[in-house]
Amino acid sequence: MSIVQILLVDDEERFLSTTKILLEKRGMNARTAPGGQEALNILSGNPVDVVILDMKMPGMDGVETLRRIKRDHPLVEVIMLTGHASVESAVEGLKLGAFDYVMKPCDVPDLVEKIKEAFARKQAMDEKIRKARIDRIISHPMAVFDKRTDLDD
Amino acid sequence: MDSLQNNGEQSAKFKRIRRMIITRVLIAPFLIVMLVCGVLVYFFADALGRKAQGELSRITDGHRALVDEFLAEQVSALEFTATTRSFTELSEGDALGALFMDLKSKFPAFEDIGVFDEKGRHAAYVGEYDLEGKDYSNTDWFKAVSRRGVYVSDVFKGYRNVPHFVIAVQRIEGGRPWYLRATIDTAYFSNLVKAVRVGSTGQAFIVNGKGVFQTGLSSGERLEEPDPDWRLYRKADAGVESFTAQASDGNTYLYAVGRLQQTGWLLVVRQKATDAYAPLARAVAVAVIVIALGGGVVVLTAYVLASGLAGQLAVVEVEKREMSNKLLAAGKLAEVGEMSAGMAHEINNPLQVMMAECYLINDVLNDLEIPDKNLTPADLSTIRDSMAQISMQISRCSLITQGLLKFARKTDPALHEVDLGDMVEDVVSMVDKRAHIDGVSIAVSAEKGLPRIMSDESQLQQVFLNLLNNALYAVHNRHGAEIRIEVQQEHNEIVVSVADNGCGIEPENLSKIFLPFFTTKPVGQGTGLGLSTCYGIVERLGGRIEVQSEPGAGTVFTVRMPLSQAHAHPGA
Repeated sequence: MSIVQILLVDDEERFLSTTKILLEKRGMNARTAPGGQEALNILSGNPVDVVILDMKMPGMDGVETLRRIKRDHPLVEVIMLTGHASVESAVEGLKLGAFDYVMKPCDVPDLVEKIKEAFARKQAMDEKIRKARIDRIISHPMAVFDKRTDLDD
Repeated sequence: MDSLQNNGEQSAKFKRIRRMIITRVLIAPFLIVMLVCGVLVYFFADALGRKAQGELSRITDGHRALVDEFLAEQVSALEFTATTRSFTELSEGDALGALFMDLKSKFPAFEDIGVFDEKGRHAAYVGEYDLEGKDYSNTDWFKAVSRRGVYVSDVFKGYRNVPHFVIAVQRIEGGRPWYLRATIDTAYFSNLVKAVRVGSTGQAFIVNGKGVFQTGLSSGERLEEPDPDWRLYRKADAGVESFTAQASDGNTYLYAVGRLQQTGWLLVVRQKATDAYAPLARAVAVAVIVIALGGGVVVLTAYVLASGLAGQLAVVEVEKREMSNKLLAAGKLAEVGEMSAGMAHEINNPLQVMMAECYLINDVLNDLEIPDKNLTPADLSTIRDSMAQISMQISRCSLITQGLLKFARKTDPALHEVDLGDMVEDVVSMVDKRAHIDGVSIAVSAEKGLPRIMSDESQLQQVFLNLLNNALYAVHNRHGAEIRIEVQQEHNEIVVSVADNGCGIEPENLSKIFLPFFTTKPVGQGTGLGLSTCYGIVERLGGRIEVQSEPGAGTVFTVRMPLSQAHAHPGA
């Protein structure tokens, strides 16, 4: 079982640094981004399994960031951080394909639990994709050389 | 104090409304009715006046016929006597005396009788005076009768030196004329003429062609004296003329004048106008009283009606005021609701940080529980750092709650010295965080050394918080969103303008934005109370709020607060 690659996105610097320490203590690998745009930059260059995304941020807000993550990296699971006042944005996020949401202020064990669930799903999905690929290669071996097939997908 | 002032204002308004109703709704119709009544009374008076004149003319005509007939009778009696007797027969002995007795019994107006020969010598006489043998050849009446045959004289004194008038007839007997003359009892004739009953002041008299009285007048004019009012009588030839004129005694009379056919004298019947027009005056008086009473009733009704209406309007006004107070309170509540939601969100972030710090400390402590594990300087600094962070986040939270309390406290209007520049800064600090999250920059530029104004700080805070919230809403999701707040002095006003470069307001909505419950926000998101509350507060504090907007370009709200708070704070 590989180490979970996490990306924390929040505009609260101290929250990022403390949570990063907490998660790493619990055997996870965490990166941080202070905003949506930075998060997208990190995603495009690094392997990330689960994104923890604050929905209320200056600049690009949570919903918009989520939409872009799901567009560019559909396999990455997203857990949203929301306040009580913005349950609507949580609902909207779920519709957009977020894995789950956590109410602020959140318990670290809760968060860790959800991260594990998300990671499990991610792995299951990856597994399915891998199997599908193998099946395809077995049934159509020549397809490996077919340039039109995007094997990295 | 405020409510006292309101009461005064209220009663002034009440009076104004009542006056308006009375004048506009009732006075105009009332004046028309008065005009109609006036016209009716005028025509009624005119008709009555004609009737009075007609009545007098009729009486005068009848009386003239009577007097004419009396004179004609006297003349024919003398003529008959003259033709049935001879000069010789009458001028000798007692025959004239017997004849006179005979005549007198039938014609009591005869006072004496005389027989004259052709030269005018009094041949025989029966009567109270000693006139026998006197020569009358040069008298007016003798000349006239010898010329005309029959003559009725004007009143004169003659030899007897007493006013009288005579009737004389001529008889031609055997080629020689002789004359029979009778004197008419002036008292008898006067009584005959006077015997006309017209009202209580009616009187009749006769003047001759030269305006000299021929009969006595009850008011004292004497016979043979010229009538001072002669110029008034018109020359009525056949009929009787009636008119109203002022006589020399100062009274106004209704006159009727007719000419006697026998003598050419004028029969004058007159009645004091006050008497003649008494029924008219009575009728007019009754009409005026009825109109006055009716008018009084109308005015009273109008007053009561107008008072009632104005009272109802005043009640409505009070209810409206209460309603606006309730709206204000409701707006305030809605504002608190919206704010607390925002506050909750702002508090969540520090709470989240504290939560994370707690777990971090907990982790370190958990590690320490492992045997033969000692507290390293690094662990110590982690704990200290976390504790410092937690206390920092706590003060952040307390700042937020303080802001909320500041806003929620003091709902009663309380006037204190307010520095609008500082106040605006405070309000901006309340929304700064949210604005930062939304990526909106708020720029405040306040003029230095602005004078303080007497006003209610918490209410003004509510106003500007509202305006800022609206501005934030307007610039939502906009690139380069910006809110500019300027505080400056213009003449005797402090002017605060809140300008955004947001979506702006459609022109058709611009006139409605201050109305309660008007909102363009989706259902459930806006109460439509914000700006109406602002408007109410600013008006109450004696200021004005204005708006300028261009759809797509932005909106500027301008609040002008007066420096002198005479209206809102009379005691200052």
